[in-house]
Amino acid sequence: MKSLHIAATGMSAQQMRVDTIANNLANMSTTGYNARRADFADLHYQQFARAGAISAQDGTVLPTGVQLGLGVRPSSVSMQVEQGASGYTGGDLDLAIEGRGFLEVVLPDGQPAYTRDGALHRTGDGLIVNAEGFEVVPGITIPDDARALSINAEGEVYAYFAGQVEPQLLGQISLVGFSNEKGLEAMGSNLFLESAASGPPVVGAPGTDGLGTLRQGYLEESSVDAVREMTDLIKAQRGYELNSKIITAADQMLAATTQVR
Amino acid sequence: MDNASYVTLTRMSGLNREMQVIAHNVANSGTSGFRREGLIFSEFVRGGEGHEPSISMALGNTRQTSDLQGALAQTGGAFDMAIEGEGYFQVETAAGPRLTRAGSFTPNEAGELVNMDGHRLLDAGGAAIFVPPDAGQIAMSRDGTLSSDGLPFAQVGLVRPADPVTLSRAAGTLFEVEGDIEPVEAPVILQGFLEESNVNPVMELARMIEVQRAYEQGQRLLDREDERIKNVIQTLGR
Repeated sequence: MKSLHIAATGMSAQQMRVDTIANNLANMSTTGYNARRADFADLHYQQFARAGAISAQDGTVLPTGVQLGLGVRPSSVSMQVEQGASGYTGGDLDLAIEGRGFLEVVLPDGQPAYTRDGALHRTGDGLIVNAEGFEVVPGITIPDDARALSINAEGEVYAYFAGQVEPQLLGQISLVGFSNEKGLEAMGSNLFLESAASGPPVVGAPGTDGLGTLRQGYLEESSVDAVREMTDLIKAQRGYELNSKIITAADQMLAATTQVR
Repeated sequence: MDNASYVTLTRMSGLNREMQVIAHNVANSGTSGFRREGLIFSEFVRGGEGHEPSISMALGNTRQTSDLQGALAQTGGAFDMAIEGEGYFQVETAAGPRLTRAGSFTPNEAGELVNMDGHRLLDAGGAAIFVPPDAGQIAMSRDGTLSSDGLPFAQVGLVRPADPVTLSRAAGTLFEVEGDIEPVEAPVILQGFLEESNVNPVMELARMIEVQRAYEQGQRLLDREDERIKNVIQTLGR
């Protein structure tokens, strides 16, 4: 009875879909989070009767043959690259990226990582870091005596000092684009790593080369759509139940087989 | 055993096969671009020799792929495409070009559009589609023309087999065509949508109950036949 195994692949696929939805809903208020989606594809087919095989004594030929499928497999859980809503916070180091691109941070081991979470902070020395304390490229230090901070759409960071009319340019925050953002490897804490599938990072100033712009005082909210997740959850749960019904029916057929004497 | 049991046996093994098809359909009720598979039973007749009557056995030897349009689910993804009406996307695999209705694509590391298994999507001319790395918003018109900032750069091709019978299935929601393929004249592709599996759960469940009951009926018939033969042996052997 292959039906048992086939229905089991269906159940584990729906289980995976529920897991993905659970993770999305858990990250409903995570800054810069992009919803994930589980995609599925069918498994291999068994050839039972080849098309063109002779099916009767008079030489009738089968027009299509029989191929029996063996179930379903997950093909990908991919990030849905979608712009989340920008929520106003008023913080002078809160940045929302409008459009494509990631902020680059430097991990403690010197490796670069990428994030869309623009809730930045400063260290005791004035260095701009992300929420985890990792330095944001290109490593801008805010002087102690700076009165106010202004970051424009192109990522240029200006500091205002007491007694000076003109602000002073401290540096420019760059953005990084990838040809395949879905191929980035998520490492948790809103951070991503470059992978073989993502393509090499392309660094550019915000607003150039198709990269997005920055908006100070805003944070990009999670792009999880609760309504879509709930409808998907219903579908996944019912799909799970349907597959379990198949298992019950296949089991009863097996029982009927053993009753033949 | 005599012929009655053998005829019942062909029916039961056919039903077993059909149960597998139903299980496969239900397992793929959440697979986007999946097309429902059906099994068609036919009569296999062995002509009677001399005065013997002919016997007909039931054989599930042909299949049918449902062409019904699946529901379109909105995803909002720039490279999620759903075909409305007839046609298939053409993707390039190591074993040659394949057709698919699953329209979830993404640019790969080189900027070419690929599906979730990494197979390249082909345009109307049969070449891979390259998405410029500096492209901003990607828009697609209903005929599959992809454009960035108002400049068209590629057109997604839709094809169909010249003879639908030559279509056979391959893993990964792909279809293989043994004959010729031709372009679809008026393709309609929607951006930001995915075509859901066209499996109808109600129909599958109803068919499943039917199959299960028919199988049990076959089992009872075998039982009766066994009893009948036993009676014959007892009566004649007395």
